[in-house]
Amino acid sequence: METNPQSEAVQYGRGADIRHALHLLKRNRIVLAGAIVSVAFVMLALLSGLLVNPSSWNQQNSNVILCWNNPAINWHIINVFNCGGTVYPLGTDLYGRGLLQMIILAIPVDLWIAFEVVASAVIIGVILGGLAAYMGGLVDEIILRVTDIFLAVPGILLAIVLLVVLGRSIPVLTAAVLITWWPFYVRLVRSQVLGEKEKPYVERLHAMGAPGFRILFRHVVPNSIFPVIVQATLDIGAVILTVSALMFIGLTPDPKFPELGNLAKQGIQYLFTAPWLILFPGLTLLFISIGFNLLGDGIRDIFDPRLRR
Amino acid sequence: MLTPEIRGNEDVLKISNLNVIFHTYAGEVKALNGVELSVKKSELLGLVGESGCGKTVTSLSIVGLLPPNAEVVSGEILLNGKNLLTMTKEEMRKARLKDVAIVFQDPLTYLNPVLTVGSQITEIIATDTQIFLPKLLEHRLDEIVQVENEKGQLDTELLSEKQRLNSAVETGKLDANEIKRLTRNYVLSILRSVRLPHPEKALESYPFELSGGMRQRAMIAMALIRRPKLLLADEMTTALDVTVQAQILQLMKELRNEIDASVILITHDLAVVAEVCDRVAVMYAGDVVEVADVDELFKNPLHPYTRGLLASIPRVDATIDQQSSIGGSVPNLIYPPSGCRFHPRCPKAFEKCSQAKPELVEVSPRHLVSCFLYEE
Amino acid sequence: MRLYEYAIRRLLLMVFVLFGLSLFIFYLTRGLLPPNFAISSYITPRMDDAAKLSVARSMGVATESCPSYSAFVAQQIGCITPLWGQYAGWLKNALTGNWGLTLLPGVSGSDTTWHVFFSRFPYTAELAIAGAILTIVLGIPLGVISATHNNKLPDHISRVISLGGYSVPQFWFGAMLQIVFVLYIRFNGAGLLPGSSALATTCGICFSDPGRITSYSGLPIVDAILSLNFPFFWDSIVALILPAFTLAITSIGAITRIMRSSMMDVLRQDYILLAKSKGLKDRVVIYKHALKNALLPTVTVSGLLAAYLLGGVVIIEIVFSWPGVGNTALVAAEVLDINFLELYVLVTAVIIVLTNLVVDLIYAKLDPRIRY
Repeated sequence: METNPQSEAVQYGRGADIRHALHLLKRNRIVLAGAIVSVAFVMLALLSGLLVNPSSWNQQNSNVILCWNNPAINWHIINVFNCGGTVYPLGTDLYGRGLLQMIILAIPVDLWIAFEVVASAVIIGVILGGLAAYMGGLVDEIILRVTDIFLAVPGILLAIVLLVVLGRSIPVLTAAVLITWWPFYVRLVRSQVLGEKEKPYVERLHAMGAPGFRILFRHVVPNSIFPVIVQATLDIGAVILTVSALMFIGLTPDPKFPELGNLAKQGIQYLFTAPWLILFPGLTLLFISIGFNLLGDGIRDIFDPRLRR
Repeated sequence: MLTPEIRGNEDVLKISNLNVIFHTYAGEVKALNGVELSVKKSELLGLVGESGCGKTVTSLSIVGLLPPNAEVVSGEILLNGKNLLTMTKEEMRKARLKDVAIVFQDPLTYLNPVLTVGSQITEIIATDTQIFLPKLLEHRLDEIVQVENEKGQLDTELLSEKQRLNSAVETGKLDANEIKRLTRNYVLSILRSVRLPHPEKALESYPFELSGGMRQRAMIAMALIRRPKLLLADEMTTALDVTVQAQILQLMKELRNEIDASVILITHDLAVVAEVCDRVAVMYAGDVVEVADVDELFKNPLHPYTRGLLASIPRVDATIDQQSSIGGSVPNLIYPPSGCRFHPRCPKAFEKCSQAKPELVEVSPRHLVSCFLYEE
Repeated sequence: MRLYEYAIRRLLLMVFVLFGLSLFIFYLTRGLLPPNFAISSYITPRMDDAAKLSVARSMGVATESCPSYSAFVAQQIGCITPLWGQYAGWLKNALTGNWGLTLLPGVSGSDTTWHVFFSRFPYTAELAIAGAILTIVLGIPLGVISATHNNKLPDHISRVISLGGYSVPQFWFGAMLQIVFVLYIRFNGAGLLPGSSALATTCGICFSDPGRITSYSGLPIVDAILSLNFPFFWDSIVALILPAFTLAITSIGAITRIMRSSMMDVLRQDYILLAKSKGLKDRVVIYKHALKNALLPTVTVSGLLAAYLLGGVVIIEIVFSWPGVGNTALVAAEVLDINFLELYVLVTAVIIVLTNLVVDLIYAKLDPRIRY
C-alpha cells in the first residue's frame, strides 16, 4: 500500500532514471574528482615510458645531490624544490636518481600489480564462490572451510612466509598478495549468488531445462556482479597500499626497483634529514588510493538501487 | 455511533489552508493543496481517498514528522486552540507524548526488531514519569480498593502499599523501584484493554515473535497509554488479513466508549468507514473535497468524485457490465491540474473548474463540499 | 541450537582451521623445498658433520637411522623422513610447547622459539589492543555523529577523516606523525612525543627516569599500574600514542564509514518514525532505538578488523622501532628462521579465530532474531 506521495510522481518513465543519475552525479562533485584522479593516474602510468627513460632506474649516479640540511630542525620543504633545480624537481634518492622520475616510473608498476591481483581475485572468486553457492552441500563446505583457513591469518604474515620460502620477486609478491585477497571475493560472490538464486527467474530457467552451469555463469553471476565491481575498484587502492607496505618493510627483489613503497623504504633512516624520500612516494600512494576509493564509492552511489535521495 | 447531541461541540483539531510541498529531484510535489479539516471532541472521523491523495501527509503534518524534504508552505493546525506548526521542537515532542498519538500501518516494520515489546511501551512512561505518575497511582489504588471491597479488608502488605501510594499522591514523589512496578502493572492493564492475549508473555517478547494482530494491538496500546486527545489511525488495518481486521475494528468500537479521544481513521476502504465512523472526509489529490456524517454521505454524495467512488464499489447484486469506474488516472502532483484538481476526470466539469479552486462550503447542515456545482 | 552449542561448534571449527593452517604453512616451509632448506639456517659452517646430522634429526627432517650427514644431503632412501612423518613429529613437539630453537638473540639467554616469541609478544599485544580501543572509541562516535548531522559540517569533517583514514599508507602516516610530533613540535628540549621504542626516555612530556616495574601479567602497561609506578605507566602510554594511532587510522576510517552508512539506513526505518511519534526524547531515539540496530553491521566487520590490526603491527613496529614480535618477524624472514615464523603465524591465527568467535557471540546477543 503506497502511502508515499512523492513516489507517485517519481515513477514516471525512464526519463526519471536518467535525471536521477545526473542529479546524483552533479551533487557528488567529489566523486567526480575521484574519478578524474584515478583516470589521471592511469594515463600517467600508460605514458610513463614516454616521460622518463624506462631503464633509468637501474643506473646509479655518483654525484648525489641530496639537499641535506643540518641541523635537521631547520629543514624546510622548499629547499627540496630549490636545490634540485629543474632536472631533479623533487631532489634525488640514495642512488642519485631523480625522485620525481622514479615516482613516475613506479606508478605503472604499482597499478599493474594491483590490477593483476584484483582481476585474478575476482576471477577466482567468481568461479569458486559461484560454485560454492550454486552447488551447496559438500562443495560449499569445503570451499568455505578453505577460505576460513586463509582468513585466519593476516595477509602480511602470509606474504612474508611466502616470500621467505619462494624468494623475493615480483611474481611471488603478486601471488602472495593474491593469496590473501581471494577469500574475500569468494565469500562476496558466494553471498551474492546465494541471494540471487532464490529469485524466481532462476527457477524458471531451471524448469526450461537450462543446464546448471549455464544458468550460473550466464545469468546469475552477471546479475550479482555489481557489488563485486564496486569492491574491486575499492580494492585497487587497498592492494597498492599492501604491496607498497610489503616493499617498504624490505621484501623487495632489488633495492633499486621502481616501486613506491620501495622508494619510501630508503627514507626510513633519513626520516629527519631527508623526509621527502618518504613524503613524496607516500603522497603519491595517498592520492592513488583516494582516487580509486572515491571512484568505487561513486559507482556504488550512482548505481545502487537502494539509495534514492 | 454517538449522536451529534452527545458529542461535544468544540473543535479538538482544526486544520486550515494547509499547503505542503515535497522537494524531489524530479520536481516539486504539491502534496497538500490547502487542506481544511476539523474534528470535534469524541468524534470518529474517517479520512478516505486513493493512495497518494495526501491522507498520510496530512497525518504526518499533524504530528510534525514530515520527511526532511517536505515544506509546510502555509496553513494552521490548531490542536485545542494551539497551533502545532509554530511550536518549538520540545513543545512538539511533548505534544506527541501527551496530546496526539498516531498508529501506523504495518506493525512489523514500525516496531523496533531488537527491543522487546514491553520495553517499547514502558519507555513512553519513562520519558516523563511525572506526567504519568498520577495515572499510575490512581490505577493501582483502584486495584487495591477493589481487592478491599471483595475481601473486606487488606493484608499488611497491601495496606502499607496503599499508604505509600496515598502519600505519593500528595508529594508527587515515589521510589524508583516502586515506579517500575507500577509502570509494569499499568502497561499490563493497557495490554489487557486492547485484548492482547497473554500480556505478561507479550511484554518479554520481541516483535517478530508475535502475530500481526498482536503487534497491531501493541501499537494501539502504545497510543492509548498516553491518553491522547487526538488519535490518528493511518491505514491501521490495511496490512492485516480480513478476520484480524474485523477484530481490530471491533476493538476500536469498544474502546471508543472507554476513551475520550477524537479519532481520525485514515483508510482507503469505504466499508471500514461505514462500519465505524461518525463522519467522513473525502480527499482527492491533496484536497478535501467533501465532508459529511457517514449516513448522509452514503445516502447523498454530492461531489462528483465521491459519487464516482461510491458507484465503483463492486456490488454483489450487480453484473460485471454494471460496474463503473472513474475515467482517467490520478494526476501528477508535480504538474497538477489547474483550478479544481478533479476537473480533468469530472463528468460534470465546466469552464470555471479549470480556472479556480473551489472552497469547502457547507451546502446543507454538517455537509460540506468543495465543488463549483454547489456554489451558486 | 543454543548459544553454547554454537560456541562448541565454532571451537571445533577453530581446531580444524588451525590444523589446516599449520599443515599449509608446514608444506610451504618444508615441503616445497629441498630437505636441507629447513635446517640450512640453523647450520653454521663451524659445525662438523655429526653436529649437522643431529640438528637435522632434531628438526625431524632426517630419520633416527640416517647413517651420516652426507647420506642425508644425497637424499638416500631411509634418510629423509617423509613429509607426513615430519609433520607428525612437529605437531607432537608443538603441542607440548617445544617449538625448537630460534636464531634470534634471546632476551635473557634462553634460545627457544617459544621463549623468544612470548618475551616480546606483550609489546605487540599492547599495541594491538590500544589500536583496537582507539578504533572503537573514535570510529563509532564519528560515524554516529556523521549520520545524525547528515550533510552538515560534522558530517563533512568526519567523511574527510574517514576517507583519508583508509586511503592513507600506514607507514607514511606513521612517518609523518613522527616528523610532526618529534621533529617539529618540541617541548622541554626534545620532541613532544617519543619517536621510537616502548620505553620512552627522551621526549618532552616523558619522565626521564621511570624506574622499574615487576612483571605480573607481562603487559608492561598493566604491570606499571600493578607496580604502582606512575612515571613508568605514563611513559608507556605516551610512547603508545603515535604507534597506536597510526595502526588504528585505517580501521577508524573503515568503521566510521560503516557506522555512518548503517546509521543512516537505520534512521530511515519506520520504527524510528514511530519512536519519534511516541514523544521520546531525541537522545533516546538515537541511542536506544537506532544505535543498537546500526551496530550490527559494524560488529560483523570487527572480526576482519582483528586480522587487519594484527597484520598492521608488523609495519608499525618497523616504523616506530617497537620491540614487539612484528619487528622480529622481519628479522626472522631475513635469516630464514622458520620456527619463529611458524609460531608467529599460528599464534596470530588462534587470536584471530577466537576474536571472530567472540564477535559472533556478541552479534547473537545484540540481535534477538538470530537463533542457532
